[in-house]
Amino acid sequence: MDKIQSIVNEIYEIFKDYNVSRSEIEKRLKLLVFEFKVPEEEAKRTIINGLRRDLNLSRDALRFPLTKIADLEPGKGVTVKAKVIQLWEPMSQSIAQWGIIGDETGTARFVIWAKSGKGKVEEGKNYIFERVFVDEFAGIKSIKVTSISEVKEIDEEIEVNESWGEIEITGALVSIYQNSGLVQICKICGRVVEAGICKEHGKVEWSEVLRLRGVIDDGERIYDIEMDENCLKALTGLDLKTAKKMAFEHLDRNVVLMELKKKLLGKYFRISGELRFRTISVKRAELLKTKIIEEVERVLEQARAL
Amino acid sequence: MRARREVARRVFAKEFNESRYKIGGNAEKEPIYVLTPLGLKCNRLFIIGTLIEKEETRPESEVIRIRIADPTGSFLGFVGKFDPEAKISLMDMKIPSTIAVTAKAKLLERGGKVIPFIRPESINPSDFDTRDYWILETAKATIKRIEMMKGDSEIARLAREKYNPNLEEYREMVISALMRLKEEVKITEEEEEESIEESIEEEILDLNDLF
Repeated sequence: MDKIQSIVNEIYEIFKDYNVSRSEIEKRLKLLVFEFKVPEEEAKRTIINGLRRDLNLSRDALRFPLTKIADLEPGKGVTVKAKVIQLWEPMSQSIAQWGIIGDETGTARFVIWAKSGKGKVEEGKNYIFERVFVDEFAGIKSIKVTSISEVKEIDEEIEVNESWGEIEITGALVSIYQNSGLVQICKICGRVVEAGICKEHGKVEWSEVLRLRGVIDDGERIYDIEMDENCLKALTGLDLKTAKKMAFEHLDRNVVLMELKKKLLGKYFRISGELRFRTISVKRAELLKTKIIEEVERVLEQARAL
Repeated sequence: MRARREVARRVFAKEFNESRYKIGGNAEKEPIYVLTPLGLKCNRLFIIGTLIEKEETRPESEVIRIRIADPTGSFLGFVGKFDPEAKISLMDMKIPSTIAVTAKAKLLERGGKVIPFIRPESINPSDFDTRDYWILETAKATIKRIEMMKGDSEIARLAREKYNPNLEEYREMVISALMRLKEEVKITEEEEEESIEESIEEEILDLNDLF
Protein backbone atom coordinates (compact mmCIF):
# COMPACT_ATOMS: atom_id res chain seq x y z
CA MET A 1 0.00 0.00 0.00
CA ASP A 2 2.91 2.35 0.83
CA LYS A 3 4.39 1.60 -2.56
CA ILE A 4 1.09 2.54 -4.20
CA GLN A 5 0.93 5.82 -2.27
CA SER A 6 4.49 6.74 -3.17
CA ILE A 7 3.81 6.14 -6.88
CA VAL A 8 0.63 8.21 -6.62
CA ASN A 9 2.68 11.02 -5.09
CA GLU A 10 5.32 10.77 -7.77
CA ILE A 11 2.77 11.04 -10.55
CA TYR A 12 0.86 13.74 -8.73
CA GLU A 13 4.05 15.84 -8.47
CA ILE A 14 4.50 15.65 -12.25
CA PHE A 15 0.93 16.69 -13.05
CA LYS A 16 0.07 18.90 -10.09
CA ASP A 17 -0.19 22.00 -12.21
CA TYR A 18 -2.67 20.36 -14.58
CA ASN A 19 -5.63 19.84 -12.28
CA VAL A 20 -5.18 16.10 -11.91
CA SER A 21 -6.40 14.82 -8.55
CA ARG A 22 -4.67 12.25 -6.36
CA SER A 23 -7.79 10.12 -6.22
CA GLU A 24 -7.95 9.99 -10.01
CA ILE A 25 -4.35 8.78 -10.17
CA GLU A 26 -4.93 6.29 -7.35
CA LYS A 27 -8.01 4.89 -9.06
CA ARG A 28 -6.12 4.28 -12.32
CA LEU A 29 -3.13 2.81 -10.52
CA LYS A 30 -5.16 0.41 -8.37
CA LEU A 31 -7.10 -0.75 -11.40
CA LEU A 32 -3.88 -1.66 -13.24
CA VAL A 33 -1.99 -3.12 -10.30
CA PHE A 34 -4.72 -5.00 -8.41
CA GLU A 35 -7.19 -6.01 -11.08
CA PHE A 36 -4.99 -6.41 -14.16
CA LYS A 37 -1.89 -7.43 -12.15
CA VAL A 38 0.37 -5.10 -14.15
CA PRO A 39 3.82 -4.59 -12.51
CA GLU A 40 3.96 -1.32 -10.57
CA GLU A 41 6.65 0.39 -12.69
CA GLU A 42 4.81 -0.52 -15.90
CA ALA A 43 1.58 0.80 -14.42
CA LYS A 44 3.30 4.06 -13.51
CA ARG A 45 4.61 4.55 -17.03
CA THR A 46 1.22 3.71 -18.53
CA ILE A 47 -0.53 6.26 -16.32
CA ILE A 48 1.99 9.01 -17.01
CA ASN A 49 1.74 8.47 -20.75
CA GLY A 50 -2.04 8.24 -20.54
CA LEU A 51 -2.37 11.47 -18.61
CA ARG A 52 0.07 13.14 -20.95
CA ARG A 53 -2.10 12.18 -23.94
CA ASP A 54 -5.32 13.17 -22.15
CA LEU A 55 -3.85 16.57 -21.35
CA ASN A 56 -2.36 16.93 -24.78
CA LEU A 57 1.15 17.44 -23.44
CA SER A 58 4.42 16.74 -25.19
CA ARG A 59 7.17 14.73 -23.52
CA ASP A 60 9.06 18.00 -23.17
CA ALA A 61 6.27 19.44 -21.09
CA LEU A 62 7.13 16.89 -18.44
CA ARG A 63 10.86 17.43 -18.62
CA PHE A 64 10.19 21.17 -18.47
CA PRO A 65 7.15 21.21 -16.17
CA LEU A 66 4.77 24.13 -16.16
CA THR A 67 5.86 26.15 -13.14
CA LYS A 68 4.53 29.20 -11.33
CA ILE A 69 6.98 32.07 -10.97
CA ALA A 70 7.04 31.83 -7.17
CA ASP A 71 8.16 28.17 -7.50
CA LEU A 72 11.05 28.75 -9.94
CA GLU A 73 14.20 27.02 -8.75
CA PRO A 74 17.65 27.99 -10.08
CA GLY A 75 19.21 25.33 -12.29
CA LYS A 76 15.87 23.78 -13.33
CA GLY A 77 14.34 23.59 -16.79
CA VAL A 78 10.73 24.77 -16.83
CA THR A 79 7.83 26.07 -18.84
CA VAL A 80 6.25 29.32 -17.67
CA LYS A 81 3.03 31.09 -18.58
CA ALA A 82 3.42 34.78 -17.92
CA LYS A 83 2.69 38.32 -18.95
CA VAL A 84 5.52 40.51 -20.24
CA ILE A 85 5.42 43.49 -17.90
CA GLN A 86 8.40 45.52 -18.97
CA LEU A 87 10.99 45.40 -21.74
CA TRP A 88 14.42 46.92 -21.26
CA GLU A 89 16.92 48.14 -23.76
CA PRO A 90 19.39 45.28 -24.43
CA MET A 91 22.79 46.23 -23.05
CA SER A 92 24.70 43.87 -25.29
CA GLN A 93 24.37 42.33 -28.72
CA SER A 94 24.07 38.84 -27.29
CA ILE A 95 20.63 39.74 -25.91
CA ALA A 96 17.62 39.99 -28.24
CA GLN A 97 15.17 41.05 -25.54
CA TRP A 98 15.02 41.22 -21.77
CA GLY A 99 12.80 42.54 -19.06
CA ILE A 100 10.25 41.47 -16.49
CA ILE A 101 7.51 38.85 -16.63
CA GLY A 102 4.87 38.13 -14.06
CA ASP A 103 2.07 35.78 -13.10
CA GLU A 104 -0.35 35.65 -10.18
CA THR A 105 2.41 34.37 -7.87
CA GLY A 106 5.10 36.96 -8.54
CA THR A 107 7.57 38.44 -11.01
CA ALA A 108 10.91 37.43 -12.51
CA ARG A 109 13.37 38.63 -15.11
CA PHE A 110 13.60 37.05 -18.51
CA VAL A 111 16.32 37.06 -21.13
CA ILE A 112 15.90 36.00 -24.76
CA TRP A 113 19.38 35.33 -26.13
CA ALA A 114 19.99 36.68 -29.62
CA LYS A 115 21.41 33.29 -30.67
CA SER A 116 18.13 31.59 -29.78
CA GLY A 117 16.41 33.36 -32.67
CA LYS A 118 13.20 33.31 -30.63
CA GLY A 119 10.27 35.59 -30.39
CA LYS A 120 9.60 39.24 -30.45
CA VAL A 121 7.56 39.64 -27.30
CA GLU A 122 5.61 42.79 -26.53
CA GLU A 123 4.82 44.52 -23.27
CA GLY A 124 1.37 43.71 -21.86
CA LYS A 125 0.91 40.49 -23.85
CA ASN A 126 0.69 36.96 -22.46
CA TYR A 127 3.02 34.15 -23.49
CA ILE A 128 4.01 30.59 -22.78
CA PHE A 129 7.78 30.24 -22.45
CA GLU A 130 8.49 26.57 -23.13
CA ARG A 131 11.73 24.78 -22.24
CA VAL A 132 13.48 27.66 -20.52
CA PHE A 133 16.16 27.57 -17.82
CA VAL A 134 16.05 29.26 -14.43
CA ASP A 135 18.89 31.07 -12.75
CA GLU A 136 19.24 33.58 -9.99
CA PHE A 137 21.30 36.70 -9.42
CA ALA A 138 21.27 38.87 -6.29
CA GLY A 139 18.11 37.15 -5.11
CA ILE A 140 16.23 37.87 -8.33
CA LYS A 141 15.14 34.88 -10.40
CA SER A 142 15.34 34.95 -14.13
CA ILE A 143 14.46 32.64 -17.01
CA LYS A 144 16.67 32.21 -20.07
CA VAL A 145 15.23 31.58 -23.52
CA THR A 146 17.68 29.49 -25.59
CA SER A 147 17.53 27.83 -29.01
CA ILE A 148 15.69 24.79 -27.60
CA SER A 149 13.00 27.07 -26.12
CA GLU A 150 9.75 28.18 -27.69
CA VAL A 151 7.89 31.42 -27.00
CA LYS A 152 4.23 31.58 -28.06
CA GLU A 153 1.57 34.15 -27.44
CA ILE A 154 -1.43 32.72 -25.59
CA ASP A 155 -5.07 33.74 -25.61
CA GLU A 156 -5.31 34.03 -21.86
CA GLU A 157 -5.17 37.08 -19.60
CA ILE A 158 -2.70 36.54 -16.77
CA GLU A 159 -3.25 38.49 -13.57
CA VAL A 160 0.03 39.69 -12.17
CA ASN A 161 1.10 39.91 -8.55
CA GLU A 162 3.63 42.70 -8.69
CA SER A 163 5.32 42.48 -5.36
CA TRP A 164 8.95 41.38 -4.89
CA GLY A 165 8.68 41.87 -1.16
CA GLU A 166 9.87 44.37 1.41
CA ILE A 167 13.26 45.98 1.04
CA GLU A 168 15.39 48.42 3.04
CA ILE A 169 18.22 50.39 1.47
CA THR A 170 20.54 53.29 2.13
CA GLY A 171 21.86 55.53 -0.61
CA ALA A 172 21.98 58.98 -2.16
CA LEU A 173 19.02 60.47 -4.02
CA VAL A 174 20.86 61.26 -7.27
CA SER A 175 17.94 62.08 -9.55
CA ILE A 176 14.34 63.28 -9.33
CA TYR A 177 12.27 62.61 -12.43
CA GLN A 178 10.29 65.35 -14.15
CA ASN A 179 7.01 63.54 -13.47
CA SER A 180 7.41 64.42 -9.78
CA GLY A 181 6.06 67.27 -7.70
CA LEU A 182 2.49 68.50 -7.97
CA VAL A 183 1.13 66.46 -10.86
CA GLN A 184 -2.17 65.41 -12.37
CA ILE A 185 -2.18 61.68 -12.88
CA CYS A 186 -4.40 59.23 -14.76
CA LYS A 187 -6.64 57.33 -12.32
CA ILE A 188 -6.06 54.11 -14.25
CA CYS A 189 -2.29 53.99 -14.71
CA GLY A 190 -0.75 56.81 -12.65
CA ARG A 191 0.95 58.44 -15.64
CA VAL A 192 0.96 62.21 -15.79
CA VAL A 193 -1.95 63.55 -17.86
CA GLU A 194 -1.62 66.64 -20.01
CA ALA A 195 -4.77 68.70 -20.50
CA GLY A 196 -6.78 65.74 -19.20
CA ILE A 197 -5.28 63.36 -21.77
CA CYS A 198 -3.38 60.23 -20.75
CA LYS A 199 -0.92 58.93 -23.36
CA GLU A 200 -2.12 55.40 -22.66
CA HIS A 201 -5.82 55.82 -21.91
CA GLY A 202 -6.86 58.99 -23.74
CA LYS A 203 -9.34 61.33 -22.05
CA VAL A 204 -9.55 60.10 -18.48
CA GLU A 205 -10.46 61.01 -14.95
CA TRP A 206 -7.42 62.33 -13.17
CA SER A 207 -6.41 63.29 -9.67
CA GLU A 208 -3.90 65.83 -8.43
CA VAL A 209 -1.18 64.41 -6.20
CA LEU A 210 2.10 65.36 -4.59
CA ARG A 211 4.69 62.67 -5.27
CA LEU A 212 8.33 62.05 -5.99
CA ARG A 213 9.76 59.61 -8.50
CA GLY A 214 13.52 59.35 -8.56
CA VAL A 215 16.65 57.27 -8.15
CA ILE A 216 18.44 56.13 -5.01
CA ASP A 217 22.00 55.09 -5.77
CA ASP A 218 24.31 53.35 -3.29
CA GLY A 219 27.36 53.35 -5.57
CA GLU A 220 26.79 49.74 -6.63
CA ARG A 221 23.12 49.53 -7.52
CA ILE A 222 20.31 51.90 -8.39
CA TYR A 223 16.72 51.74 -7.27
CA ASP A 224 13.80 53.62 -8.75
CA ILE A 225 11.72 54.93 -5.89
CA GLU A 226 8.33 56.49 -5.50
CA MET A 227 7.36 58.57 -2.46
CA ASP A 228 3.81 59.67 -1.69
CA GLU A 229 2.51 62.77 0.07
CA ASN A 230 2.94 61.29 3.57
CA CYS A 231 6.60 60.48 3.00
CA LEU A 232 7.29 63.87 1.48
CA LYS A 233 5.51 65.67 4.28
CA ALA A 234 7.64 63.86 6.85
CA LEU A 235 10.83 64.78 4.98
CA THR A 236 10.11 68.32 3.79
CA GLY A 237 7.03 69.56 5.64
CA LEU A 238 5.36 70.02 2.26
CA ASP A 239 1.87 68.56 1.80
CA LEU A 240 -0.62 68.61 -1.06
CA LYS A 241 -2.40 71.68 0.30
CA THR A 242 0.77 73.79 0.66
CA ALA A 243 2.02 72.54 -2.70
CA LYS A 244 -1.20 73.68 -4.39
CA LYS A 245 -0.91 77.04 -2.65
CA MET A 246 2.71 77.42 -3.81
CA ALA A 247 1.79 76.56 -7.39
CA PHE A 248 -1.14 78.98 -7.29
CA GLU A 249 0.96 81.85 -5.92
CA HIS A 250 3.64 81.38 -8.57
CA LEU A 251 1.15 80.50 -11.33
CA ASP A 252 3.46 77.54 -11.99
CA ARG A 253 3.31 74.01 -10.64
CA ASN A 254 6.98 73.54 -11.53
CA VAL A 255 7.99 75.47 -8.39
CA VAL A 256 6.93 72.44 -6.33
CA LEU A 257 9.30 70.20 -8.25
CA MET A 258 12.11 72.75 -7.86
CA GLU A 259 11.46 72.88 -4.12
CA LEU A 260 11.65 69.07 -3.82
CA LYS A 261 14.89 69.04 -5.79
CA LYS A 262 16.35 71.78 -3.62
CA LYS A 263 15.44 70.03 -0.39
CA LEU A 264 16.15 66.38 -1.22
CA LEU A 265 18.54 65.93 -4.15
CA GLY A 266 22.09 64.84 -3.29
CA LYS A 267 21.18 63.75 0.24
CA TYR A 268 21.50 60.28 1.76
CA PHE A 269 18.37 58.44 2.85
CA ARG A 270 17.49 55.24 4.59
CA ILE A 271 14.26 54.03 3.07
CA SER A 272 12.08 50.98 3.35
CA GLY A 273 9.17 49.93 1.23
CA GLU A 274 7.78 47.42 -1.17
CA LEU A 275 9.79 46.52 -4.27
CA ARG A 276 7.56 46.33 -7.35
CA PHE A 277 9.42 45.46 -10.55
CA ARG A 278 12.34 47.82 -10.20
CA THR A 279 10.51 50.48 -8.24
CA ILE A 280 10.37 50.72 -4.48
CA SER A 281 7.16 52.22 -3.28
CA VAL A 282 8.50 53.89 -0.18
CA LYS A 283 6.71 53.43 3.14
CA ARG A 284 9.27 55.01 5.46
CA ALA A 285 12.08 57.40 4.61
CA GLU A 286 14.51 59.26 6.79
CA LEU A 287 17.54 61.41 6.21
CA LEU A 288 20.60 59.40 7.07
CA LYS A 289 22.07 60.51 10.36
CA THR A 290 25.11 58.61 11.43
CA LYS A 291 27.65 58.75 14.16
CA ILE A 292 30.39 57.59 11.86
CA ILE A 293 33.34 57.66 14.28
CA GLU A 294 33.13 53.94 15.21
CA GLU A 295 32.79 52.95 11.59
CA VAL A 296 35.78 55.09 10.65
CA GLU A 297 37.87 53.05 13.11
CA ARG A 298 36.59 49.80 11.66
CA VAL A 299 37.24 50.79 8.02
CA LEU A 300 40.66 52.13 9.00
CA GLU A 301 41.51 48.69 10.39
CA GLN A 302 40.38 47.15 7.10
CA ALA A 303 42.60 49.52 5.11
CA ARG A 304 45.60 48.84 7.33
CA ALA A 305 45.10 45.10 6.91
CA LEU A 306 45.22 45.34 3.09
CA MET B 1 11.35 50.69 -23.00
CA ARG B 2 14.36 52.55 -21.70
CA ALA B 3 18.08 52.11 -21.24
CA ARG B 4 19.44 50.99 -17.94
CA ARG B 5 20.58 53.94 -15.91
CA GLU B 6 24.26 53.92 -15.02
CA VAL B 7 25.20 53.69 -11.35
CA ALA B 8 26.87 56.77 -9.84
CA ARG B 9 30.21 55.41 -8.58
CA ARG B 10 32.11 56.60 -5.51
CA VAL B 11 35.76 57.36 -6.20
CA PHE B 12 38.35 59.70 -4.68
CA ALA B 13 39.75 62.50 -6.86
CA LYS B 14 43.27 61.04 -6.86
CA GLU B 15 42.17 57.70 -8.32
CA PHE B 16 39.86 59.35 -10.87
CA ASN B 17 42.49 61.90 -11.94
CA GLU B 18 44.98 59.17 -12.75
CA SER B 19 42.59 57.63 -15.31
CA ARG B 20 43.78 57.68 -18.93
CA TYR B 21 41.69 55.04 -20.73
CA LYS B 22 38.09 54.62 -21.84
CA ILE B 23 36.33 51.31 -22.36
CA GLY B 24 32.96 50.33 -23.85
CA GLY B 25 31.10 52.23 -26.55
CA ASN B 26 31.59 49.41 -29.06
CA ALA B 27 28.06 48.15 -29.54
CA GLU B 28 25.30 50.57 -30.44
CA LYS B 29 24.06 52.35 -27.30
CA GLU B 30 26.72 50.71 -25.13
CA PRO B 31 27.89 53.44 -22.76
CA ILE B 32 31.46 54.69 -22.60
CA TYR B 33 33.22 54.23 -19.28
CA VAL B 34 36.31 55.81 -17.79
CA LEU B 35 38.59 53.04 -16.52
CA THR B 36 40.43 54.02 -13.33
CA PRO B 37 43.80 52.54 -12.23
CA LEU B 38 41.94 50.40 -9.66
CA GLY B 39 39.72 48.84 -12.32
CA LEU B 40 36.58 50.91 -11.75
CA LYS B 41 34.40 51.34 -14.83
CA CYS B 42 32.60 54.61 -14.29
CA ASN B 43 30.17 56.50 -16.46
CA ARG B 44 28.56 58.50 -13.66
CA LEU B 45 29.91 59.72 -10.31
CA PHE B 46 28.39 60.96 -7.08
CA ILE B 47 30.70 63.33 -5.22
CA ILE B 48 30.43 65.34 -2.03
CA GLY B 49 33.25 67.81 -1.59
CA THR B 50 34.25 71.44 -1.29
CA LEU B 51 33.66 73.81 -4.16
CA ILE B 52 36.97 75.67 -4.38
CA GLU B 53 36.81 77.23 -7.83
CA LYS B 54 34.11 78.46 -10.22
CA GLU B 55 35.02 80.61 -13.16
CA GLU B 56 33.95 81.14 -16.73
CA THR B 57 36.49 79.38 -18.99
CA ARG B 58 36.61 82.35 -21.38
CA PRO B 59 34.55 85.53 -21.28
CA GLU B 60 31.10 84.84 -22.76
CA SER B 61 31.85 81.17 -23.34
CA GLU B 62 28.99 80.34 -20.94
CA VAL B 63 31.02 77.36 -19.80
CA ILE B 64 31.97 77.40 -16.14
CA ARG B 65 35.01 75.57 -14.88
CA ILE B 66 34.74 74.25 -11.35
CA ARG B 67 36.94 72.38 -8.91
CA ILE B 68 35.64 70.20 -6.12
CA ALA B 69 38.13 69.14 -3.45
CA ASP B 70 38.05 65.91 -1.47
CA PRO B 71 40.68 64.68 1.04
CA THR B 72 42.88 63.32 -1.78
CA GLY B 73 42.80 66.02 -4.45
CA SER B 74 40.24 67.80 -6.60
CA PHE B 75 37.82 67.02 -9.42
CA LEU B 76 37.89 69.30 -12.47
CA GLY B 77 34.43 69.97 -13.86
CA PHE B 78 32.75 71.90 -16.66
CA VAL B 79 29.18 73.15 -16.53
CA GLY B 80 27.78 74.32 -19.85
CA LYS B 81 24.48 75.53 -21.22
CA PHE B 82 23.37 71.97 -21.79
CA ASP B 83 23.23 71.40 -18.05
CA PRO B 84 20.79 74.19 -17.16
CA GLU B 85 19.82 72.79 -13.77
CA ALA B 86 23.40 72.37 -12.61
CA LYS B 87 24.22 75.83 -13.91
CA ILE B 88 21.36 77.52 -12.08
CA SER B 89 22.19 75.86 -8.76
CA LEU B 90 25.86 76.74 -9.23
CA MET B 91 24.99 80.45 -9.33
CA ASP B 92 23.97 80.37 -5.65
CA MET B 93 27.03 78.46 -4.46
CA LYS B 94 29.71 80.28 -2.49
CA ILE B 95 33.41 79.45 -2.46
CA PRO B 96 34.23 77.54 -0.40
CA SER B 97 31.09 75.52 0.31
CA THR B 98 30.21 71.84 0.62
CA ILE B 99 28.27 70.52 -2.37
CA ALA B 100 26.77 67.24 -3.56
CA VAL B 101 27.21 66.56 -7.27
CA THR B 102 25.91 63.89 -9.63
CA ALA B 103 28.03 64.00 -12.77
CA LYS B 104 29.09 62.21 -15.92
CA ALA B 105 32.70 60.98 -15.92
CA LYS B 106 34.68 62.08 -18.98
CA LEU B 107 38.16 62.15 -20.47
CA LEU B 108 39.42 65.15 -22.40
CA GLU B 109 42.06 64.29 -25.00
CA ARG B 110 44.12 67.17 -26.24
CA GLY B 111 47.59 67.25 -27.80
CA GLY B 112 48.52 63.78 -26.65
CA LYS B 113 47.39 64.59 -23.12
CA VAL B 114 44.45 62.96 -21.40
CA ILE B 115 42.65 64.92 -18.69
CA PRO B 116 39.84 63.37 -16.63
CA PHE B 117 36.95 65.72 -15.82
CA ILE B 118 33.29 65.68 -14.85
CA ARG B 119 30.09 67.10 -16.35
CA PRO B 120 27.67 67.78 -13.48
CA GLU B 121 24.03 66.84 -14.00
CA SER B 122 22.88 68.22 -10.67
CA ILE B 123 24.56 70.28 -7.96
CA ASN B 124 23.12 70.75 -4.48
CA PRO B 125 24.29 72.27 -1.22
CA SER B 126 25.47 69.71 1.31
CA ASP B 127 27.03 69.71 4.78
CA PHE B 128 30.04 68.37 6.71
CA ASP B 129 28.25 65.32 8.17
CA THR B 130 27.09 64.19 4.74
CA ARG B 131 30.56 64.80 3.29
CA ASP B 132 32.09 62.67 6.06
CA TYR B 133 29.66 59.89 5.23
CA TRP B 134 30.69 60.15 1.56
CA ILE B 135 34.39 59.91 2.49
CA LEU B 136 33.68 56.80 4.55
CA GLU B 137 31.59 55.24 1.78
CA THR B 138 34.24 56.07 -0.84
CA ALA B 139 37.00 54.66 1.38
CA LYS B 140 35.05 51.40 1.63
CA ALA B 141 34.52 51.24 -2.14
CA THR B 142 38.23 51.92 -2.72
CA ILE B 143 39.27 49.17 -0.29
CA LYS B 144 37.06 46.74 -2.21
CA ARG B 145 38.76 47.73 -5.45
CA ILE B 146 42.27 47.37 -4.00
CA GLU B 147 41.29 43.86 -2.93
CA MET B 148 39.78 43.18 -6.34
CA MET B 149 43.05 44.30 -8.00
CA LYS B 150 44.91 41.58 -6.12
CA GLY B 151 42.71 38.98 -7.80
CA ASP B 152 42.54 37.76 -11.36
CA SER B 153 39.22 39.04 -12.71
CA GLU B 154 39.05 40.26 -16.29
CA ILE B 155 38.80 43.91 -15.20
CA ALA B 156 41.71 43.57 -12.74
CA ARG B 157 43.88 42.14 -15.52
CA LEU B 158 42.88 44.97 -17.87
CA ALA B 159 43.62 47.67 -15.27
CA ARG B 160 47.01 46.09 -14.45
CA GLU B 161 47.88 45.92 -18.14
CA LYS B 162 46.93 49.59 -18.73
CA TYR B 163 48.19 51.19 -15.50
CA ASN B 164 50.23 48.71 -13.47
CA PRO B 165 49.12 50.65 -10.35
CA ASN B 166 51.06 50.79 -7.11
CA LEU B 167 48.40 49.47 -4.73
CA GLU B 168 50.39 50.60 -1.68
CA GLU B 169 49.98 54.23 -2.82
CA TYR B 170 46.19 53.85 -2.89
CA ARG B 171 46.17 52.05 0.43
CA GLU B 172 48.00 55.01 1.96
CA MET B 173 45.58 57.40 0.29
CA VAL B 174 42.63 55.65 1.95
CA ILE B 175 44.34 55.54 5.34
CA SER B 176 45.24 59.23 5.24
CA ALA B 177 41.69 60.21 4.15
CA LEU B 178 40.27 58.21 7.07
CA MET B 179 42.82 59.62 9.54
CA ARG B 180 41.85 63.16 8.61
CA LEU B 181 38.21 62.19 8.97
CA LYS B 182 38.90 60.76 12.40
CA GLU B 183 40.59 63.96 13.57
CA GLU B 184 37.82 66.12 12.13
CA VAL B 185 35.03 64.05 13.63
CA LYS B 186 36.70 64.21 17.04
CA ILE B 187 37.13 67.97 16.86
CA THR B 188 33.53 68.58 15.84
CA GLU B 189 32.26 66.32 18.59
CA GLU B 190 34.40 68.12 21.16
CA GLU B 191 33.28 71.49 19.84
CA GLU B 192 29.71 70.33 19.98
CA GLU B 193 30.11 69.27 23.59
CA GLU B 194 31.74 72.58 24.47
CA SER B 195 28.95 74.53 22.86
CA ILE B 196 26.35 72.37 24.59
CA GLU B 197 28.08 73.00 27.89
CA GLU B 198 28.13 76.71 27.19
CA SER B 199 24.45 76.79 26.36
CA ILE B 200 23.63 74.81 29.49
CA GLU B 201 25.56 77.34 31.51
CA GLU B 202 23.70 80.17 29.82
CA GLU B 203 20.44 78.45 30.56
CA ILE B 204 21.38 78.14 34.23
CA LEU B 205 22.24 81.83 34.32
CA ASP B 206 18.88 82.62 32.80
CA LEU B 207 17.15 80.46 35.37
CA ASN B 208 19.08 82.24 38.14
CA ASP B 209 17.70 85.52 36.89
CA LEU B 210 14.19 84.20 37.37
CA PHE B 211 14.57 83.57 41.05
